[in-house]
Amino acid sequence: MKNREIVAENLVKQFTDFTAVDDVSFRVESGEVFGFLGPNGAGKSTTVKMLTTLQLPTSGDATVGGYDIIKEAGKVRRIAGVALQEIGLDPLMKSMELLTIQAQLYGMSRSDARKRAENLLQLVKLDDVTDRPVGKYSGGMRRRLDLALALAHQPEILFLDEPTTGLDPASRRDVWTEVRRLNREQGMTIFLTTQYLEEADELADRIAIINRGKIAAEGTPEELKASLGGESINVTFASTSQLEQAENYLGDMADTMQRDRNTLRLYLPKAAAAIPAVVNRLQSNNIDPESLTLTQPSLDDVFLKVTGQAFDAEGTAPAEAEVA
Amino acid sequence: MDTLAGIGNVSVRRERVRETRMPLWQQITMLAWRSLVVTLRTPAVVIPSLIISVFFLLVYEATLGDAANFFLSGQSYLGFILPLSIVSAALSGAGTAGQAIVRDIENGYFDKLLLTPVSRGAVLLGPMIAGAIVLVLQTGLVTIVGLFMGLDPATGIVGLLTMLLFALLLGIAFAGFTVGIALRSGNAAATQGASFLFFPLSFLTATFVPVDLLSGWIKTAAVYNPITYILEAMRTLLNTGWDAEIMARGFASILLMAAITYTFAIFSLRARVRRK
Repeated sequence: MKNREIVAENLVKQFTDFTAVDDVSFRVESGEVFGFLGPNGAGKSTTVKMLTTLQLPTSGDATVGGYDIIKEAGKVRRIAGVALQEIGLDPLMKSMELLTIQAQLYGMSRSDARKRAENLLQLVKLDDVTDRPVGKYSGGMRRRLDLALALAHQPEILFLDEPTTGLDPASRRDVWTEVRRLNREQGMTIFLTTQYLEEADELADRIAIINRGKIAAEGTPEELKASLGGESINVTFASTSQLEQAENYLGDMADTMQRDRNTLRLYLPKAAAAIPAVVNRLQSNNIDPESLTLTQPSLDDVFLKVTGQAFDAEGTAPAEAEVA
Repeated sequence: MDTLAGIGNVSVRRERVRETRMPLWQQITMLAWRSLVVTLRTPAVVIPSLIISVFFLLVYEATLGDAANFFLSGQSYLGFILPLSIVSAALSGAGTAGQAIVRDIENGYFDKLLLTPVSRGAVLLGPMIAGAIVLVLQTGLVTIVGLFMGLDPATGIVGLLTMLLFALLLGIAFAGFTVGIALRSGNAAATQGASFLFFPLSFLTATFVPVDLLSGWIKTAAVYNPITYILEAMRTLLNTGWDAEIMARGFASILLMAAITYTFAIFSLRARVRRK
Protein backbone atom coordinates (compact mmCIF):
# COMPACT_ATOMS: atom_id res chain seq x y z
CA MET A 1 0.00 0.00 0.00
CA LYS A 2 1.45 3.32 -1.04
CA ASN A 3 1.80 6.05 1.48
CA ARG A 4 -0.73 8.65 0.45
CA GLU A 5 -1.04 10.42 3.76
CA ILE A 6 -0.90 14.10 4.47
CA VAL A 7 0.39 14.99 7.91
CA ALA A 8 0.59 18.55 9.16
CA GLU A 9 2.22 19.34 12.46
CA ASN A 10 1.88 22.79 13.99
CA LEU A 11 1.92 24.61 10.68
CA VAL A 12 2.21 28.36 11.03
CA LYS A 13 2.23 30.95 8.28
CA GLN A 14 2.95 34.45 9.42
CA PHE A 15 2.67 37.37 7.04
CA THR A 16 3.99 40.78 7.98
CA ASP A 17 0.70 42.05 9.36
CA PHE A 18 -1.24 38.93 10.32
CA THR A 19 -1.09 35.21 10.94
CA ALA A 20 -2.85 33.38 8.11
CA VAL A 21 -2.37 29.87 9.49
CA ASP A 22 -1.97 29.54 13.21
CA ASP A 23 -0.65 26.25 14.58
CA VAL A 24 -2.59 23.87 12.37
CA SER A 25 -2.19 20.11 12.77
CA PHE A 26 -4.09 17.30 11.12
CA ARG A 27 -3.63 13.92 9.56
CA VAL A 28 -5.26 12.75 6.36
CA GLU A 29 -5.18 8.99 5.89
CA SER A 30 -4.34 7.27 2.60
CA GLY A 31 -7.34 7.16 0.31
CA GLU A 32 -9.39 9.58 2.34
CA VAL A 33 -11.37 12.59 1.13
CA PHE A 34 -10.58 15.31 3.62
CA GLY A 35 -12.71 18.44 3.68
CA PHE A 36 -11.07 21.66 4.83
CA LEU A 37 -14.01 23.86 5.54
CA GLY A 38 -13.97 27.53 6.38
CA PRO A 39 -15.07 31.01 5.36
CA ASN A 40 -13.08 33.33 3.08
CA GLY A 41 -9.77 34.31 4.58
CA ALA A 42 -9.75 31.48 7.09
CA GLY A 43 -6.37 30.23 5.90
CA LYS A 44 -7.46 27.44 3.55
CA SER A 45 -5.53 28.55 0.46
CA THR A 46 -2.42 29.37 2.45
CA THR A 47 -2.47 25.86 3.92
CA VAL A 48 -2.79 24.35 0.44
CA LYS A 49 0.07 26.50 -0.86
CA MET A 50 2.33 25.34 1.94
CA LEU A 51 1.44 21.66 1.47
CA THR A 52 2.01 21.89 -2.29
CA THR A 53 5.41 23.63 -1.90
CA LEU A 54 4.44 27.02 -3.31
CA GLN A 55 5.00 28.68 0.04
CA LEU A 56 7.23 27.82 2.96
CA PRO A 57 5.71 27.63 6.41
CA THR A 58 6.98 30.12 8.97
CA SER A 59 7.25 27.17 11.34
CA GLY A 60 5.97 23.64 11.69
CA ASP A 61 6.33 20.54 9.53
CA ALA A 62 4.29 18.60 7.07
CA THR A 63 4.66 15.55 4.90
CA VAL A 64 2.75 14.69 1.75
CA GLY A 65 2.90 11.03 0.78
CA GLY A 66 5.69 10.66 3.33
CA TYR A 67 7.80 13.40 1.76
CA ASP A 68 8.82 16.47 3.67
CA ILE A 69 7.30 19.58 2.09
CA ILE A 70 10.43 21.59 2.81
CA LYS A 71 13.33 19.19 2.27
CA GLU A 72 11.74 16.98 -0.39
CA ALA A 73 9.71 19.55 -2.29
CA GLY A 74 10.64 18.00 -5.65
CA LYS A 75 9.18 14.64 -4.68
CA VAL A 76 6.05 16.22 -3.27
CA ARG A 77 5.53 17.99 -6.62
CA ARG A 78 5.90 14.67 -8.43
CA ILE A 79 3.12 12.84 -6.56
CA ALA A 80 0.74 15.71 -5.86
CA GLY A 81 -1.82 17.12 -8.28
CA VAL A 82 -2.98 20.64 -7.54
CA ALA A 83 -5.85 22.83 -8.69
CA LEU A 84 -5.46 26.16 -6.98
CA GLN A 85 -8.26 28.57 -6.27
CA GLU A 86 -6.80 31.05 -8.74
CA ILE A 87 -6.85 29.02 -11.94
CA GLY A 88 -3.43 29.31 -13.57
CA LEU A 89 -4.20 29.01 -17.26
CA ASP A 90 -2.57 31.09 -19.98
CA PRO A 91 -5.57 32.54 -21.88
CA LEU A 92 -3.68 32.53 -25.17
CA MET A 93 -3.00 28.80 -25.11
CA LYS A 94 -5.23 25.94 -26.14
CA SER A 95 -6.33 23.09 -23.91
CA MET A 96 -4.32 20.50 -25.83
CA GLU A 97 -1.12 22.56 -25.59
CA LEU A 98 -1.53 23.12 -21.87
CA LEU A 99 -2.20 19.46 -21.18
CA THR A 100 0.61 18.04 -23.33
CA ILE A 101 3.15 20.45 -21.82
CA GLN A 102 1.91 19.55 -18.34
CA ALA A 103 2.15 15.80 -18.97
CA GLN A 104 5.58 16.12 -20.60
CA LEU A 105 6.93 18.08 -17.65
CA TYR A 106 6.21 15.00 -15.56
CA GLY A 107 8.33 12.89 -17.89
CA MET A 108 5.81 11.55 -20.40
CA SER A 109 6.88 11.26 -24.02
CA ARG A 110 5.26 13.61 -26.48
CA SER A 111 3.01 10.97 -27.99
CA ASP A 112 1.99 9.58 -24.59
CA ALA A 113 1.32 13.11 -23.42
CA ARG A 114 -0.96 13.74 -26.37
CA LYS A 115 -2.92 10.56 -25.74
CA ARG A 116 -3.24 11.40 -22.09
CA ALA A 117 -4.40 14.90 -23.03
CA GLU A 118 -7.08 13.52 -25.34
CA ASN A 119 -8.38 11.19 -22.66
CA LEU A 120 -8.48 13.93 -20.07
CA LEU A 121 -10.28 16.31 -22.41
CA GLN A 122 -12.93 13.65 -22.93
CA LEU A 123 -13.15 13.07 -19.23
CA VAL A 124 -13.82 16.74 -18.45
CA LYS A 125 -16.03 17.07 -21.54
CA LEU A 126 -13.89 19.64 -23.32
CA ASP A 127 -12.95 17.51 -26.33
CA ASP A 128 -15.20 19.52 -28.64
CA VAL A 129 -13.57 22.90 -27.95
CA THR A 130 -9.90 22.04 -28.35
CA ASP A 131 -9.25 24.67 -31.02
CA ARG A 132 -10.57 27.53 -28.92
CA PRO A 133 -8.08 29.52 -26.82
CA VAL A 134 -8.61 29.01 -23.11
CA GLY A 135 -9.28 32.74 -22.68
CA LYS A 136 -12.59 32.22 -24.48
CA TYR A 137 -13.73 29.47 -22.11
CA SER A 138 -16.48 30.01 -19.56
CA GLY A 139 -15.66 29.86 -15.84
CA GLY A 140 -16.93 26.31 -15.57
CA MET A 141 -14.91 25.12 -18.58
CA ARG A 142 -11.78 26.71 -17.17
CA ARG A 143 -12.27 24.93 -13.83
CA ARG A 144 -12.73 21.63 -15.59
CA LEU A 145 -9.60 22.14 -17.66
CA ASP A 146 -7.70 23.08 -14.54
CA LEU A 147 -8.86 19.85 -12.91
CA ALA A 148 -7.68 17.94 -15.99
CA LEU A 149 -4.25 19.61 -15.68
CA ALA A 150 -4.04 18.57 -12.04
CA LEU A 151 -4.69 14.98 -13.14
CA ALA A 152 -2.22 14.96 -16.04
CA HIS A 153 0.38 12.83 -14.23
CA GLN A 154 -2.04 10.59 -12.37
CA PRO A 155 -1.21 12.04 -8.98
CA GLU A 156 -1.52 9.99 -5.83
CA ILE A 157 -2.68 12.90 -3.75
CA LEU A 158 -4.95 15.58 -5.14
CA PHE A 159 -5.33 19.07 -3.71
CA LEU A 160 -8.43 20.94 -4.77
CA ASP A 161 -8.72 24.49 -3.49
CA GLU A 162 -12.37 25.56 -3.68
CA PRO A 163 -12.96 23.55 -6.86
CA THR A 164 -16.60 24.51 -7.20
CA THR A 165 -16.58 28.17 -6.17
CA GLY A 166 -18.33 30.14 -8.89
CA LEU A 167 -19.67 27.07 -10.69
CA ASP A 168 -23.29 26.56 -11.67
CA PRO A 169 -25.09 23.70 -9.89
CA ALA A 170 -24.73 21.29 -12.82
CA SER A 171 -20.95 21.80 -13.15
CA ARG A 172 -20.66 21.54 -9.40
CA ARG A 173 -22.28 18.13 -9.45
CA ASP A 174 -19.95 17.06 -12.28
CA VAL A 175 -16.95 17.95 -10.13
CA TRP A 176 -18.43 16.05 -7.19
CA THR A 177 -18.99 12.96 -9.31
CA GLU A 178 -15.42 13.14 -10.58
CA VAL A 179 -13.95 13.61 -7.10
CA ARG A 180 -15.85 10.55 -5.87
CA ARG A 181 -14.78 8.52 -8.87
CA LEU A 182 -11.08 9.42 -8.51
CA ASN A 183 -11.20 8.56 -4.85
CA ARG A 184 -13.06 5.29 -5.31
CA GLU A 185 -11.43 3.94 -8.46
CA GLN A 186 -7.88 5.16 -8.03
CA GLY A 187 -7.67 5.38 -4.28
CA MET A 188 -6.50 8.96 -4.59
CA THR A 189 -6.23 10.89 -1.35
CA ILE A 190 -8.13 14.11 -1.85
CA PHE A 191 -7.61 17.27 0.15
CA LEU A 192 -10.50 19.54 -0.66
CA THR A 193 -11.07 23.03 0.62
CA THR A 194 -14.49 24.54 0.43
CA GLN A 195 -16.67 27.21 1.90
CA TYR A 196 -19.78 25.18 1.17
CA LEU A 197 -21.03 23.08 4.05
CA GLU A 198 -23.13 21.01 1.70
CA GLU A 199 -20.07 20.15 -0.35
CA ALA A 200 -18.04 19.07 2.66
CA ASP A 201 -20.96 17.04 4.00
CA GLU A 202 -21.49 15.43 0.60
CA LEU A 203 -17.89 14.52 -0.27
CA ALA A 204 -15.68 14.38 2.75
CA ASP A 205 -14.95 11.33 4.88
CA ARG A 206 -13.61 13.69 7.49
CA ILE A 207 -13.80 17.42 7.94
CA ALA A 208 -11.69 20.03 9.66
CA ILE A 209 -13.29 23.39 10.23
CA ILE A 210 -10.78 26.20 10.01
CA ASN A 211 -11.52 29.68 11.20
CA ARG A 212 -9.10 32.61 11.50
CA GLY A 213 -6.15 30.34 10.89
CA LYS A 214 -7.01 27.82 13.58
CA ILE A 215 -8.69 24.44 13.40
CA ALA A 216 -11.93 24.82 15.32
CA ALA A 217 -13.25 21.27 15.03
CA GLU A 218 -12.35 18.01 13.33
CA GLY A 219 -14.10 14.72 12.71
CA THR A 220 -16.48 12.86 10.43
CA PRO A 221 -19.59 14.84 9.50
CA GLU A 222 -21.57 12.55 11.80
CA GLU A 223 -19.17 13.00 14.70
CA LEU A 224 -19.26 16.73 14.31
CA LYS A 225 -23.02 16.81 14.28
CA ALA A 226 -23.23 14.44 17.23
CA SER A 227 -20.76 16.55 19.18
CA LEU A 228 -23.41 19.21 19.47
CA GLY A 229 -25.40 17.04 21.83
CA GLY A 230 -28.21 15.95 19.56
CA GLU A 231 -30.96 18.09 18.23
CA SER A 232 -31.65 21.73 18.86
CA ILE A 233 -34.64 23.94 19.55
CA ASN A 234 -34.39 27.34 17.91
CA VAL A 235 -36.43 30.12 19.40
CA THR A 236 -36.59 33.47 17.65
CA PHE A 237 -37.49 36.62 19.60
CA ALA A 238 -38.67 40.08 18.62
CA SER A 239 -35.70 41.77 20.29
CA THR A 240 -32.31 41.10 21.70
CA SER A 241 -33.43 42.07 25.19
CA GLN A 242 -36.13 39.42 25.08
CA LEU A 243 -33.55 36.95 23.93
CA GLU A 244 -31.31 37.84 26.82
CA GLN A 245 -34.12 37.34 29.33
CA ALA A 246 -35.01 34.02 27.79
CA GLU A 247 -31.39 32.98 27.93
CA ASN A 248 -31.50 33.43 31.72
CA TYR A 249 -34.70 31.44 32.16
CA LEU A 250 -33.79 28.60 29.84
CA GLY A 251 -30.15 28.24 30.81
CA ASP A 252 -30.61 25.15 32.95
CA MET A 253 -32.62 23.25 30.34
CA ALA A 254 -30.00 22.95 27.59
CA ASP A 255 -26.54 21.42 27.39
CA THR A 256 -25.33 24.37 25.35
CA MET A 257 -26.92 27.54 24.09
CA GLN A 258 -25.91 29.52 21.10
CA ARG A 259 -27.00 32.97 19.96
CA ASP A 260 -27.51 33.72 16.29
CA ARG A 261 -28.86 37.26 15.90
CA ASN A 262 -32.32 37.13 17.48
CA THR A 263 -32.44 33.38 17.58
CA LEU A 264 -31.47 31.33 20.58
CA ARG A 265 -30.43 27.77 19.87
CA LEU A 266 -30.75 25.26 22.65
CA TYR A 267 -28.78 22.09 22.13
CA LEU A 268 -30.14 19.20 24.12
CA PRO A 269 -30.81 15.49 23.70
CA LYS A 270 -34.39 14.60 22.78
CA ALA A 271 -35.24 18.13 21.88
CA ALA A 272 -38.67 17.35 20.48
CA ALA A 273 -39.85 16.07 23.83
CA ALA A 274 -38.53 19.17 25.56
CA ILE A 275 -40.52 21.64 23.47
CA PRO A 276 -43.56 21.87 25.83
CA ALA A 277 -41.29 22.53 28.78
CA VAL A 278 -39.48 25.28 26.92
CA VAL A 279 -42.76 26.90 25.87
CA ASN A 280 -44.12 26.67 29.41
CA ARG A 281 -41.03 28.23 30.88
CA LEU A 282 -41.22 31.13 28.45
CA GLN A 283 -44.92 31.68 28.98
CA SER A 284 -44.70 31.64 32.73
CA ASN A 285 -42.16 34.43 32.41
CA ASN A 286 -44.32 36.37 29.94
CA ILE A 287 -42.00 36.00 26.95
CA ASP A 288 -43.69 35.39 23.61
CA PRO A 289 -41.33 33.97 21.05
CA GLU A 290 -41.86 34.90 17.40
CA SER A 291 -41.17 31.42 16.16
CA LEU A 292 -39.93 28.12 17.38
CA THR A 293 -38.34 25.45 15.24
CA LEU A 294 -36.70 22.14 15.77
CA THR A 295 -33.61 21.06 13.83
CA GLN A 296 -31.55 18.01 13.49
CA PRO A 297 -28.02 19.33 13.72
CA SER A 298 -26.45 20.13 10.38
CA LEU A 299 -22.93 21.18 9.60
CA ASP A 300 -24.30 24.71 9.65
CA ASP A 301 -24.96 24.33 13.33
CA VAL A 302 -21.57 22.79 13.91
CA PHE A 303 -19.96 25.69 12.13
CA LEU A 304 -21.92 28.20 14.12
CA LYS A 305 -21.05 26.49 17.33
CA VAL A 306 -17.33 26.29 16.76
CA THR A 307 -16.83 29.66 15.14
CA GLY A 308 -19.59 31.78 16.61
CA GLN A 309 -20.52 32.88 13.08
CA ALA A 310 -23.41 31.82 10.93
CA PHE A 311 -23.12 30.93 7.29
CA ASP A 312 -25.42 33.23 5.34
CA ALA A 313 -27.88 32.15 2.67
CA GLU A 314 -25.18 31.70 0.03
CA GLY A 315 -23.30 29.45 2.36
CA THR A 316 -20.51 31.87 3.09
CA ALA A 317 -19.68 33.20 6.49
CA PRO A 318 -19.02 36.89 7.09
CA ALA A 319 -15.79 37.39 5.23
CA GLU A 320 -12.54 38.16 6.94
CA ALA A 321 -9.73 39.82 5.03
CA GLU A 322 -9.19 38.06 1.73
CA VAL A 323 -6.00 36.02 1.77
CA ALA A 324 -4.03 35.66 -1.42
CA MET B 1 3.34 -3.17 13.45
CA ASP B 2 5.03 0.21 13.45
CA THR B 3 8.30 -1.30 12.37
CA LEU B 4 6.70 -3.24 9.55
CA ALA B 5 4.89 -0.19 8.28
CA GLY B 6 8.15 1.72 8.47
CA ILE B 7 10.04 -0.82 6.40
CA GLY B 8 7.17 -1.00 3.95
CA ASN B 9 7.29 2.72 3.44
CA VAL B 10 10.98 2.74 2.67
CA SER B 11 10.77 0.14 -0.07
CA VAL B 12 7.64 1.71 -1.48
CA ARG B 13 9.30 5.10 -1.62
CA ARG B 14 12.19 3.86 -3.73
CA GLU B 15 10.23 2.42 -6.58
CA ARG B 16 7.33 4.78 -6.45
CA VAL B 17 8.66 8.10 -7.65
CA ARG B 18 9.52 7.35 -11.22
CA GLU B 19 12.67 9.23 -12.02
CA THR B 20 11.55 9.61 -15.60
CA ARG B 21 12.26 13.23 -15.99
CA MET B 22 12.31 15.40 -19.04
CA PRO B 23 15.95 16.32 -19.75
CA LEU B 24 16.71 19.94 -18.87
CA TRP B 25 17.40 21.01 -22.44
CA GLN B 26 14.07 19.58 -23.53
CA GLN B 27 12.26 21.42 -20.77
CA ILE B 28 13.93 24.63 -21.89
CA THR B 29 13.18 24.12 -25.59
CA MET B 30 9.58 23.19 -24.89
CA LEU B 31 8.95 26.22 -22.69
CA ALA B 32 10.82 28.53 -25.10
CA TRP B 33 8.71 27.27 -27.97
CA ARG B 34 5.56 27.77 -25.93
CA SER B 35 6.59 31.35 -25.04
CA LEU B 36 7.42 32.14 -28.65
CA VAL B 37 4.11 30.80 -29.94
CA VAL B 38 2.20 32.76 -27.31
CA THR B 39 4.15 35.97 -28.03
CA LEU B 40 3.46 35.65 -31.74
CA ARG B 41 -0.24 35.16 -30.99
CA THR B 42 -0.30 38.77 -29.81
CA PRO B 43 1.48 40.49 -32.70
CA ALA B 44 0.61 43.82 -31.05
CA VAL B 45 3.50 43.16 -28.66
CA VAL B 46 6.05 42.87 -31.45
CA ILE B 47 4.84 44.90 -34.42
CA PRO B 48 4.73 48.46 -32.97
CA SER B 49 8.33 48.40 -31.76
CA LEU B 50 9.41 47.02 -35.11
CA ILE B 51 7.59 49.83 -36.91
CA ILE B 52 9.18 52.41 -34.59
CA SER B 53 12.66 51.09 -35.29
CA VAL B 54 12.14 51.29 -39.05
CA PHE B 55 10.43 54.67 -38.74
CA PHE B 56 13.40 56.18 -36.87
CA LEU B 57 15.74 54.75 -39.43
CA LEU B 58 13.84 56.38 -42.31
CA VAL B 59 13.35 59.72 -40.56
CA TYR B 60 16.90 60.14 -39.28
CA GLU B 61 18.35 59.16 -42.61
CA ALA B 62 16.04 61.60 -44.45
CA THR B 63 16.54 64.57 -42.10
CA LEU B 64 20.18 64.21 -41.12
CA GLY B 65 21.63 62.26 -44.00
CA ASP B 66 22.92 65.26 -45.97
CA ALA B 67 23.83 67.39 -42.95
CA ALA B 68 26.01 64.61 -41.64
CA ASN B 69 28.53 64.88 -44.46
CA PHE B 70 30.66 67.31 -42.50
CA PHE B 71 31.56 64.86 -39.72
CA LEU B 72 31.37 61.60 -41.56
CA SER B 73 33.80 62.64 -44.29
CA GLY B 74 32.31 60.62 -47.05
CA GLN B 75 31.14 57.66 -44.94
CA SER B 76 27.52 56.65 -45.17
CA TYR B 77 25.12 58.17 -42.65
CA LEU B 78 22.94 55.07 -43.08
CA GLY B 79 25.79 52.97 -41.70
CA PHE B 80 26.07 55.45 -38.83
CA ILE B 81 22.39 55.57 -37.91
CA LEU B 82 21.33 51.97 -38.61
CA PRO B 83 23.00 50.67 -35.40
CA LEU B 84 20.78 53.02 -33.40
CA SER B 85 17.69 51.39 -34.91
CA ILE B 86 19.21 47.98 -34.29
CA VAL B 87 19.89 48.87 -30.64
CA SER B 88 16.31 50.06 -30.19
CA ALA B 89 14.95 46.89 -31.86
CA ALA B 90 17.23 44.82 -29.64
CA LEU B 91 16.06 46.55 -26.47
CA SER B 92 12.40 46.13 -27.33
CA GLY B 93 12.92 42.51 -28.41
CA ALA B 94 14.64 41.79 -25.12
CA GLY B 95 11.77 43.53 -23.35
CA THR B 96 9.40 40.81 -24.55
CA ALA B 97 11.22 38.33 -22.28
CA GLY B 98 10.28 40.30 -19.18
CA GLN B 99 6.78 40.85 -20.49
CA ALA B 100 6.29 37.16 -21.19
CA ILE B 101 7.33 36.28 -17.64
CA VAL B 102 5.18 38.92 -16.04
CA ARG B 103 2.21 37.70 -18.12
CA ASP B 104 2.74 34.22 -16.72
CA ILE B 105 2.98 35.57 -13.20
CA GLU B 106 -0.22 37.58 -13.61
CA ASN B 107 -2.30 34.85 -15.21
CA GLY B 108 -1.08 32.27 -12.70
CA TYR B 109 0.66 29.97 -15.19
CA PHE B 110 3.99 30.71 -13.50
CA ASP B 111 2.69 29.15 -10.27
CA LYS B 112 1.17 26.30 -12.23
CA LEU B 113 4.63 25.54 -13.61
CA LEU B 114 6.26 25.88 -10.19
CA LEU B 115 3.87 23.19 -8.91
CA THR B 116 5.36 20.70 -11.39
CA PRO B 117 8.83 19.19 -11.05
CA VAL B 118 10.08 21.44 -13.86
CA SER B 119 13.49 23.05 -13.32
CA ARG B 120 13.02 26.57 -11.98
CA GLY B 121 15.72 27.71 -14.39
CA ALA B 122 13.78 26.41 -17.40
CA VAL B 123 10.74 28.43 -16.34
CA LEU B 124 12.86 31.58 -16.78
CA LEU B 125 15.11 30.52 -19.65
CA GLY B 126 12.16 29.53 -21.83
CA PRO B 127 10.69 33.04 -22.16
CA MET B 128 14.18 34.53 -22.34
CA ILE B 129 15.14 32.39 -25.30
CA ALA B 130 11.82 33.22 -26.95
CA GLY B 131 12.64 36.91 -26.39
CA ALA B 132 16.04 36.38 -28.00
CA ILE B 133 14.40 34.81 -31.06
CA VAL B 134 12.01 37.76 -31.35
CA LEU B 135 15.03 40.03 -31.09
CA VAL B 136 16.90 38.23 -33.87
CA LEU B 137 13.83 38.47 -36.11
CA GLN B 138 13.38 42.18 -35.36
CA THR B 139 16.99 43.23 -35.79
CA GLY B 140 17.23 41.03 -38.89
CA LEU B 141 14.23 42.76 -40.45
CA VAL B 142 15.60 46.22 -39.65
CA THR B 143 18.89 45.21 -41.24
CA ILE B 144 17.11 44.02 -44.36
CA VAL B 145 15.31 47.37 -44.57
CA GLY B 146 18.74 49.01 -44.27
CA LEU B 147 20.09 46.88 -47.12
CA PHE B 148 17.19 47.95 -49.29
CA MET B 149 18.04 51.57 -48.46
CA GLY B 150 21.49 51.02 -49.86
CA LEU B 151 23.51 49.87 -46.85
CA ASP B 152 26.93 48.61 -47.95
CA PRO B 153 28.77 47.27 -44.88
CA ALA B 154 32.54 47.80 -44.93
CA THR B 155 33.13 44.37 -43.39
CA GLY B 156 30.72 42.53 -45.68
CA ILE B 157 28.33 39.83 -44.64
CA VAL B 158 30.50 38.59 -41.77
CA GLY B 159 30.58 42.11 -40.35
CA LEU B 160 26.83 42.39 -40.70
CA LEU B 161 26.36 39.15 -38.81
CA THR B 162 28.84 40.32 -36.17
CA MET B 163 26.78 43.47 -35.75
CA LEU B 164 23.65 41.34 -35.26
CA LEU B 165 25.56 39.24 -32.75
CA PHE B 166 26.34 42.43 -30.84
CA ALA B 167 22.63 43.24 -30.91
CA LEU B 168 21.77 39.78 -29.60
CA LEU B 169 24.29 40.00 -26.77
CA LEU B 170 23.06 43.47 -25.85
CA GLY B 171 19.51 42.12 -25.83
CA ILE B 172 20.49 39.22 -23.59
CA ALA B 173 22.14 41.66 -21.19
CA PHE B 174 19.08 43.91 -21.20
CA ALA B 175 16.73 40.93 -20.76
CA GLY B 176 18.34 40.37 -17.34
CA PHE B 177 17.02 43.77 -16.33
CA THR B 178 13.46 43.31 -17.63
CA VAL B 179 13.22 39.78 -16.24
CA GLY B 180 14.50 41.03 -12.89
CA ILE B 181 11.84 43.72 -12.79
CA ALA B 182 9.17 41.22 -13.87
CA LEU B 183 10.10 38.83 -11.07
CA ARG B 184 10.39 41.54 -8.48
CA SER B 185 7.18 43.38 -9.27
CA GLY B 186 4.99 40.64 -10.74
CA ASN B 187 3.21 43.51 -12.44
CA ALA B 188 2.94 44.14 -16.18
CA ALA B 189 2.69 47.91 -15.98
CA ALA B 190 5.74 48.12 -13.74
CA THR B 191 7.73 45.89 -16.07
CA GLN B 192 6.86 47.93 -19.10
CA GLY B 193 7.50 51.18 -17.23
CA ALA B 194 10.89 50.04 -16.02
CA SER B 195 11.85 48.98 -19.54
CA PHE B 196 11.33 52.57 -20.58
CA LEU B 197 14.05 53.58 -18.13
CA PHE B 198 16.53 52.15 -20.57
CA PHE B 199 15.18 54.26 -23.38
CA PRO B 200 17.20 57.37 -22.36
CA LEU B 201 20.32 55.21 -22.42
CA SER B 202 20.09 55.05 -26.20
CA PHE B 203 19.92 58.85 -26.32
CA LEU B 204 22.43 59.80 -23.63
CA THR B 205 25.06 58.62 -26.00
CA ALA B 206 26.56 59.39 -29.37
CA THR B 207 23.08 59.09 -30.81
CA PHE B 208 23.26 61.36 -33.81
CA VAL B 209 26.90 62.43 -33.96
CA PRO B 210 30.21 60.84 -32.89
CA VAL B 211 31.30 61.22 -29.25
CA ASP B 212 34.12 63.60 -30.20
CA LEU B 213 31.61 66.19 -31.37
CA LEU B 214 29.68 66.15 -28.08
CA SER B 215 30.47 68.52 -25.25
CA GLY B 216 29.33 69.32 -21.72
CA TRP B 217 27.24 67.01 -19.58
CA ILE B 218 26.00 64.93 -22.47
CA LYS B 219 29.57 64.06 -23.36
CA THR B 220 30.21 62.95 -19.78
CA ALA B 221 27.05 60.86 -19.87
CA ALA B 222 28.00 59.34 -23.20
CA VAL B 223 31.48 58.44 -22.03
CA TYR B 224 30.07 56.42 -19.11
CA ASN B 225 27.21 54.92 -21.10
CA PRO B 226 27.96 51.36 -22.25
CA ILE B 227 25.64 51.84 -25.24
CA THR B 228 28.15 54.36 -26.65
CA TYR B 229 30.77 51.65 -27.10
CA ILE B 230 28.31 49.12 -28.45
CA LEU B 231 27.12 51.67 -31.02
CA GLU B 232 30.69 52.55 -31.85
CA ALA B 233 31.56 48.91 -32.48
CA MET B 234 28.52 48.43 -34.73
CA ARG B 235 29.18 51.63 -36.65
CA THR B 236 32.80 50.74 -37.20
CA LEU B 237 31.75 47.40 -38.62
CA LEU B 238 29.39 49.05 -41.07
CA ASN B 239 31.43 52.10 -42.06
CA THR B 240 35.17 51.61 -41.59
CA GLY B 241 36.20 48.01 -41.10
CA TRP B 242 37.49 45.55 -38.49
CA ASP B 243 39.05 47.18 -35.44
CA ALA B 244 39.99 44.76 -32.69
CA GLU B 245 40.24 47.39 -29.98
CA ILE B 246 36.82 48.91 -30.67
CA MET B 247 35.25 45.44 -30.89
CA ALA B 248 36.79 44.48 -27.57
CA ARG B 249 35.55 47.68 -25.95
CA GLY B 250 32.02 47.07 -27.26
CA PHE B 251 32.09 43.51 -26.05
CA ALA B 252 33.42 44.50 -22.63
CA SER B 253 30.61 47.06 -22.26
CA ILE B 254 28.02 44.36 -22.86
CA LEU B 255 29.73 42.07 -20.39
CA LEU B 256 29.70 44.80 -17.75
CA MET B 257 26.00 45.49 -18.38
CA ALA B 258 25.16 41.80 -18.22
CA ALA B 259 27.08 41.39 -14.97
CA ILE B 260 24.94 44.09 -13.37
CA THR B 261 21.56 43.06 -14.82
CA TYR B 262 22.03 39.35 -14.10
CA THR B 263 23.07 39.96 -10.53
CA PHE B 264 19.84 41.88 -10.20
CA ALA B 265 17.83 39.15 -11.97
CA ILE B 266 19.25 36.39 -9.79
CA PHE B 267 18.44 38.27 -6.59
CA SER B 268 14.93 38.92 -7.92
CA LEU B 269 14.49 35.25 -8.77
CA ARG B 270 15.57 34.25 -5.27
CA ALA B 271 13.07 36.68 -3.80
CA ARG B 272 10.25 35.27 -5.97
CA VAL B 273 10.85 31.56 -5.43
CA ARG B 274 11.78 31.92 -1.78
CA ARG B 275 8.28 30.55 -1.28
CA LYS B 276 7.50 33.34 1.13
